[in-house]
Amino acid sequence: MIPVPPAPTPDPPTLSESATYITQLGKPTAAEVLAHARASGRTALQPRCGVGGHREMALLLKELETEGRPDLLTLTIDSHTRLRRFEHAARALRTDHRTLNGYPLVTHGWQRGRELNELVAVPLEIRHGSPDPRELFATAVACGITSFEGGGISYNLPYSKDVPLADSLAAWAEVDRICGELAGLGVVMDRELFGTLTAVLIPPSISLAVSVLEAVAAAAAGVRCISVSYPQSGHLAQDIAALRAVPVLAARYLPAGTDVHAVLHEFMGVFPRRRHHADDLIFYGALTARLGGASKLITKTHQEAHGIPDAAANAAGLRLAAVARSPLLDFITVDEGAVAEELEWILRETAEIVEPVLAAPRLDSAIVTAFADGRLDIPFSASRHARSEVIPRRDGDGAVRYHSAGRLPLSRASTARNRRLLDGPARTGDGAGAVTGTTGLPGADLFQALRRDIDYFPLLFGELPQDTTAPGNTTADSATTTPGKEPVL
Amino acid sequence: MPTPMPTPTRPTGAPERDGRLVILGVAASDSHAVANHLIAHALRADGFTVVNLGTCTPVAEFADACERHPQAEAVLIGSLNGQIHEDLHDLADAKRSGRVHCPVLVGGNLSVGSVKDEASVARLYDLGVDRVLTSAADLVPTLDALYTATAPDFVPAAAAR
Repeated sequence: MIPVPPAPTPDPPTLSESATYITQLGKPTAAEVLAHARASGRTALQPRCGVGGHREMALLLKELETEGRPDLLTLTIDSHTRLRRFEHAARALRTDHRTLNGYPLVTHGWQRGRELNELVAVPLEIRHGSPDPRELFATAVACGITSFEGGGISYNLPYSKDVPLADSLAAWAEVDRICGELAGLGVVMDRELFGTLTAVLIPPSISLAVSVLEAVAAAAAGVRCISVSYPQSGHLAQDIAALRAVPVLAARYLPAGTDVHAVLHEFMGVFPRRRHHADDLIFYGALTARLGGASKLITKTHQEAHGIPDAAANAAGLRLAAVARSPLLDFITVDEGAVAEELEWILRETAEIVEPVLAAPRLDSAIVTAFADGRLDIPFSASRHARSEVIPRRDGDGAVRYHSAGRLPLSRASTARNRRLLDGPARTGDGAGAVTGTTGLPGADLFQALRRDIDYFPLLFGELPQDTTAPGNTTADSATTTPGKEPVL
Repeated sequence: MPTPMPTPTRPTGAPERDGRLVILGVAASDSHAVANHLIAHALRADGFTVVNLGTCTPVAEFADACERHPQAEAVLIGSLNGQIHEDLHDLADAKRSGRVHCPVLVGGNLSVGSVKDEASVARLYDLGVDRVLTSAADLVPTLDALYTATAPDFVPAAAAR
């Protein structure tokens, strides 16, 4: 293997040169693909994909386009670039690009990015995890890439230990302001928010509340197309309601004329290990997106439990998700009453969380203060700038509820409903919930209950013993670093 | 901007453990947040006050927390990525100097690969670790046993229930 060092990069194009390049590129923008998907009722499909080497990235995109027929493609960016350690990325490219866990776009440079963009017919999105994405965004625009994921909250708290929210919000405000300038030049960038957050047992109202706040900030800065992503919990009515909440929240909190899309992330937690179980879950996710009216679905693969998938598995995941779009499946309907009830409560909880913050005179400082106080919070935060006093749990039907709402300003009615559903009679075969109720669980029971909730799908498919409390119950799985596997401290 | 220190928290309604405080964190090279939060929630539900330093915590940061909280009865260090030995390289020095004044408990996936061999555990004791836990269920009993050894009139909460 011949290492390909980073190319010397000439001066990047100006913003208006990039806008001209995009309009003459001869392919739709991400915003156009999403608008078409929503209008036609046919969810757009997009995989995650990113490798370090340039040739390897080009081959991966080509193979996925040919074998998986996605509507959009992704450049997933490596960790060094996410943290602006561009010299580390350059060193890895000089020595062994296989040590990179994504494509180091800034280091490869905007000309190579244009090569990738021109190689495929569908638009590209940058997916990363950067608390400060300014260089990466500038490079992406120079490449003519029309969709960029992240936000000042959602790309900070799940990814960084100690970046102040004020800093990440300020950096993302600059990105959003440049999107506004591009709109003035005739190019509407799609700004996708990362409502998946820490990906484990996220209550819908927390995901949507964070997205509403980021969306209000983005729209104020001039962003015209916003994708609100939500992670599949696995409870059909709850997931469909969360997706249908997106246009309602947009009408309620965003300026008219902002184009807002609902995006579903196929299940992001602990995936079943066996292929036929994983495929079941992938298809279930794709059906959820269809019934929820999502403009776009981000797909998973049957290799999810084992690490980063190969191209063949990635393409197979796309083809399987595409089956769920078939017009033959129009007979599949949901319990609309159950969805309506979930929707009403999701909207109510979300309002209770966001409205006090939106009422403050300055949104960015209100967000910082609210997280410091715990009035905004996310579960399982990697960052110390969220308190993570919120404790989620699954109810007897598998829906994600608030076991503890921490210091979130939820009303008495909302808290009571969550408690009632967690304590409800539907919970069978779960000693912890049935015997003691869930509010006063002793620590060891709470720990085991949360582990069962996290391992929901492997347990459902019978891949794990039902009683995970048995001592010495180490399986071959225990060597993996998946959350929920053998956490001792 | 100065780093805000994690606030020790105890939920209302949890059993009182007389202000018993533990310092919790994940080893320096490890970014697994979920298991760390599960342990923190479980300890708080059992009445402990938890100072959670979170993921990617170097020995120096554990030592700083010990100095800020001299009442801490233990330091609990998790690792799921198997690089714990390298991460705890400075622990012996921190204990010798008195910067880490209390017992250090380690748990998680303690070696690369699924076999947790005796040699890898022995090396942890050589580095200054006091207890190596193989199950989360052992955590509170171990803390209570260590606590009883220093406070003879203590009645474990489980016995009092």
